[in-house]
Amino acid sequence: MTKLILSTGNIVSGGPSIIRKPGGYRSNLELTNSLRSNFLAAQQDFANDAHNPDDAGAAAAAAALNGNGNSNGNGFHRSDGRPPASVWTAQEEGALYVPRIDWSLAGLQEEPAQYDITVKLFFLPTAPVAKRAQHAKEALDLVLRELDVKAVTLLVVSFPGMSFEGDCEWEADKRNATQGNAEEEAATWPAIEDLHRQGLVRNIGIAEFGSEKLAGFLKRVQVRPTVNQINIKNCCNVPPPLVKLAKEQGIELLVHSDCTDILSRGTLRELLGQGLQGAGLLAEPEVNGDGLKGDLAPQWVVKYTAVVRDRGVIENKGYFACAELMED
Amino acid sequence: MGLLALGTALDWPDAKLQAHLVRAWGIKQLLEIWNKAKGKERDAMLWGDEVEYLVVTYSEEEPKVLLSLRQADILTALANDTDLSAKGGCVPELQHIHRNGEPLPVFHPEFGRFMLEATPGKPWGIEFKELLNVEPNMKLRRCIAKDHMLPNEHPITLTTFPRLGSPGVFTEPAYPVSGPKLRSQFVPDEIANPHIRFPTLAANIRSRRGRKVQVNVPVFRDEKTPWPWKDPTVNYDLNQWPEDDDVRNGAAPDNFIHMDAMAFGMGSCCLQITFQAKNITEGRQMYDQLSPLGPIMLALTAATPIYKGFLADTDVRWNQISKAVDDRTPEELGEKPLQNDRWRIPKSRYASNSTYISTDARLRPEYFDPDLVIDEDIKQQLLDGGMDDRLATHFAHLFIRDPIVVFNEDLQSLDLSKTDHFENIQSTNWQHMRFKPPPADNSIGWRVEFRPMEIQITDFENAAFAVFMVLITRVILSFDLNFYIPILRVDENMETAHARDAVLERKFWFRRNLFSARPPRSSGGSGSSTPRSAHPSRPATPTGPVEDEYRLMTINEIINGTAYANEADNDSGDDFPGLIPLVESYLDSVNVDVVTRCELGTYLDLIRKRASGELWTAAKWIREFVRGQKAYRGDSVVSEEIGKDLVGAVIKVGEREQRGEGFRGLDVEGVKDWGRLMGGFRS
Repeated sequence: MTKLILSTGNIVSGGPSIIRKPGGYRSNLELTNSLRSNFLAAQQDFANDAHNPDDAGAAAAAAALNGNGNSNGNGFHRSDGRPPASVWTAQEEGALYVPRIDWSLAGLQEEPAQYDITVKLFFLPTAPVAKRAQHAKEALDLVLRELDVKAVTLLVVSFPGMSFEGDCEWEADKRNATQGNAEEEAATWPAIEDLHRQGLVRNIGIAEFGSEKLAGFLKRVQVRPTVNQINIKNCCNVPPPLVKLAKEQGIELLVHSDCTDILSRGTLRELLGQGLQGAGLLAEPEVNGDGLKGDLAPQWVVKYTAVVRDRGVIENKGYFACAELMED
Repeated sequence: MGLLALGTALDWPDAKLQAHLVRAWGIKQLLEIWNKAKGKERDAMLWGDEVEYLVVTYSEEEPKVLLSLRQADILTALANDTDLSAKGGCVPELQHIHRNGEPLPVFHPEFGRFMLEATPGKPWGIEFKELLNVEPNMKLRRCIAKDHMLPNEHPITLTTFPRLGSPGVFTEPAYPVSGPKLRSQFVPDEIANPHIRFPTLAANIRSRRGRKVQVNVPVFRDEKTPWPWKDPTVNYDLNQWPEDDDVRNGAAPDNFIHMDAMAFGMGSCCLQITFQAKNITEGRQMYDQLSPLGPIMLALTAATPIYKGFLADTDVRWNQISKAVDDRTPEELGEKPLQNDRWRIPKSRYASNSTYISTDARLRPEYFDPDLVIDEDIKQQLLDGGMDDRLATHFAHLFIRDPIVVFNEDLQSLDLSKTDHFENIQSTNWQHMRFKPPPADNSIGWRVEFRPMEIQITDFENAAFAVFMVLITRVILSFDLNFYIPILRVDENMETAHARDAVLERKFWFRRNLFSARPPRSSGGSGSSTPRSAHPSRPATPTGPVEDEYRLMTINEIINGTAYANEADNDSGDDFPGLIPLVESYLDSVNVDVVTRCELGTYLDLIRKRASGELWTAAKWIREFVRGQKAYRGDSVVSEEIGKDLVGAVIKVGEREQRGEGFRGLDVEGVKDWGRLMGGFRS
C-alpha cells in the first residue's frame, strides 16, 4: 500500500484557479484546478531543472532523473512529453509527494501571532472511519509544517455525506437531520478535542450541521465547537431554529462554499491519470502502461488559509490531499 | 480640504515671489518625513471615508429651494455641542450606536459655504463585521448634521446643486454677483467659505491664470433644445471687472453651459476613501493598482447631469472641477510661446494621475508618460536626499506647481517638525489618487487616497461603494493583482467616463490578465535570501508588446466579468474574471459570519446591477427625473420648480432612510423612477 500526498502549494497569488466561476458555486473546482496546475507547473519546473544540472537547485531533480525511477529509460521526456514521475514527485517518509515539496520555502512572512490560520479538514466517504484520528494528525502536521507554525487558530471538521441546502429554510434543516452519521461523528470528535488540548488548534468547529444534528452533537462532546460553517445560497435565509440554537450555544455561523465530498475516486483518477488533464502518474494500459497500478482511495483533504489579521490580506492558501493506493 | 491655518494670505503677485521658497522648504520637509517614515512597518489596515453634503433650505410651502450659506454657524453649533447629542431626530438604531461609545463623527468645512464634510470619529479597521458599521455611521453623521441646522435646512448628497449660478436668487441669504474675489457673473463671492484661505485660493488661481476660470460643459440636446444653443444666462454687457471681457473674447462657446468660478467645481460633493498601508512599499503598490480603477469607479458612480440650471451632456463632475481650479497661464497652456513660465503643462492641477510610483517589477517603462513634466532640480534634491528615482519623479511632478495660498507668517523660518510647505503643494495637487506620507510626528502610516468617486444620494449606496473599494484593496493585495496599463490610457478612460451613460455605452481600456506569471519554484537553489519569505520573488518583467496586455472592455465586463456580462453571446473568447467575482473569491477564502456575508452581498449586488445596467446611475436617474417632470419643456432647462422637485425628492428619500423605514413606495410618492435607481434594495 502506498500513500500519496497531493499538494497545491500557495494558490492565493497563483492565478485563476482561485477565482470563483459562474455556476461553480459550491464546487471542488478550486481544489482540482489548483492541483492540476501545480502538477503541471512542477513537471515543467523540475524538467527544466533536470535539463540544466549545473543549476544548484536542480541537483536533487537531476539525481532522481538518473536514478531508477525512470522506468522507460528514454531520456528526459517520456513519449507523451511528460517528465518521468521520479523527477517531479518525491518518496519521503513512507509517502509519495505529488509534486515534491521544497520545505525550505515553507513559512509565513511575519510572526505567527499576526495570522488567523483556518484549517478545514474533509473526512471522505472513501476512507475508514477508524483511521480518522490518525488522518487528522497527519493533515494538521502537514499544514503546520507548510506554514512553519506551532498551532492554528481554527480547525473546522467536515464529515462526509452532509450538506446544507438553504433554498427552503425549514426543508433544508429537516433534511439535514437525516444526513451524515451521528455515531461516527461523535466517535471522531475526541481526536479533534485532543488536538485542541495539545494546543495545536485553538478553536474547533464543524460544518453543515443543521439545528437537530447540532443539538444532538453538542450533548455528546466535551470540547464544544465554536464555529459551524454552513453553505447557503441565499444567506439571508438561515433557518431560524439554527440561528436560535447557535446564538444560545455561542456558536458562530460562518459561511463557506465548499462541497462536502470534495474529492471522489473518479476525480482523483482523472487528476493523476493519463488523460490530457491528468498528471500521467497512474498506469492506464490502453494509453501508457507505466506508472502506479492499483486501486486509489481518497482518504482526506485539508484546506488551509493564513490571513494577516489586522490587514485582511490572505497570504497563504492551499490544499493537501491524501490517497491510498492498493496495489493489485 | 486640508489646511486651515490662520494668517495673512499673500495676494498673487506676492505669493508668486515666494513660490520658490515654499517649494524649497516643502522638499526639505518631505525629505525629513520620508527619512523618518520610510522604514515604518506593519501598520494595520485602517481606512476612512469622507462624505460631503450640500446644505439646502427647503420647505414644501416655499416656491424655491436655496443653498444655505450658514456653514460657519452650523459648524459652530456642532463644535459647541460637546457630546453632539443627536436630539431625537435619529432612529433608535442610531441612538444605540451613539451610546455605544463609538467616537463621534467629525465635521469639517469645505470650499463651498453651502457644504459640509463629515468623517467617522475614528478610522475603520478590516474586521468584516466592522464594515457593517459604515452605513449606520453615515446615517448618524447625517442625523447629527441635520440636528444642528435650522428646521428647513437639510444636508443632501447630490454632487452639485442643480441651479448653482442660475439667474435670480439661489442662496440664502442672497448676495449680488460680480464680487472682487471671484469676479464671477454667476455666483457671489460669498458662495465660498469666508475663511481667508478659500477666497484667496479662488482669487489667486484667477490672477495666476490671467483671467477667470472657464468651465464649459456641453449642454444636453433634448427634443426642444434650440440648436445651436447659446447659454442664455451669459451676460455680455458687464463692465465691472477686466475679466468681464472674457465672455466677449469667446469664453462661452455655443452649445456649452458656461461657468466662470471655482465654486462650480469645488462646490461639488464626492466620496473619498483613504487607506493606510502596512508600509511605504505597499502604499506605493496600492497607489498604482487603484489608479486604473479610478475612471471605472467614476463612471459607475456618475451622479452629475445638471449644471447651472441646464441638463448637461456629461454624467460626472470631474472635468468641471479640473477646469474650475485650472491656474495655468496661457504660456503653460501652450497658447503663447514660453517666455516667463518654465514649461508647458498638459493638465490642470486637478486631474487624473500622471505617473506610477511603485517599486513593483511588473511596472514596465512603457506604462509611463514619456512627456511627464517634472522639475529636474527638485528631483535631483530628492535623489541627493536618498529617495529613489520613481518616487522622486512623482514629487518632482507635483512640485511643478506654484503654491496658491501663502501665509506671510509661515515664511519666517523653516520648521522641519512641520509639513506645512510640503502639504501646501501636495494638497493642492488634486489628482485622482493621492499618496500621503505620514504626518510630521510619524504617528500614522503611509496612506493612499482614492478620490474619483461621486457622492451617491443615499448612505446605503455610499456605504456600498466605500466597502467595495475596501474589499478591492484586500483582493489586490491578497491575489497580488496587476491592473497596470499605460498611464495615458488611464487619462483616456477618465475622459471616456464623462460621456453620458458611459457606464453602459462606452468601453474602457483595461488589463486582460490580472495575474502574474507563476514564480518558478526551484531556480537558483530557491533564491530566497529572507528566510521567512514564503513568496518567491516576483517574476521578471514580462516582455510581450504592451498593447497586447489590455483591451477595451465595458464596465459590466470589468465589474462582473465576461462570463456574466456576455451571457447572451458567449463567444468573446477573451475571458476576464470581473472585480465582483474576485471579491467573492476573496470572501470565500476568509471567515465571514452569515449575517455579515449577507450584508456585504447586498452591497456587491447593488454594484453588480449598476454595472450591468439593471439599475440606473444617479446621473441617469436625475436626468430622467427632470425630463419626466410636468414643468419640463424638453429644452434642457432645469427650472426653479423642477430644481425644487428634484431636491424635494432627494430630501424625502433621505428622511425615509434616516427613519429606517425603507424605500418602498417612493415611486408613487413623487420620487419618480426610484425603483430604476435602487431596485428593491432597502425596501
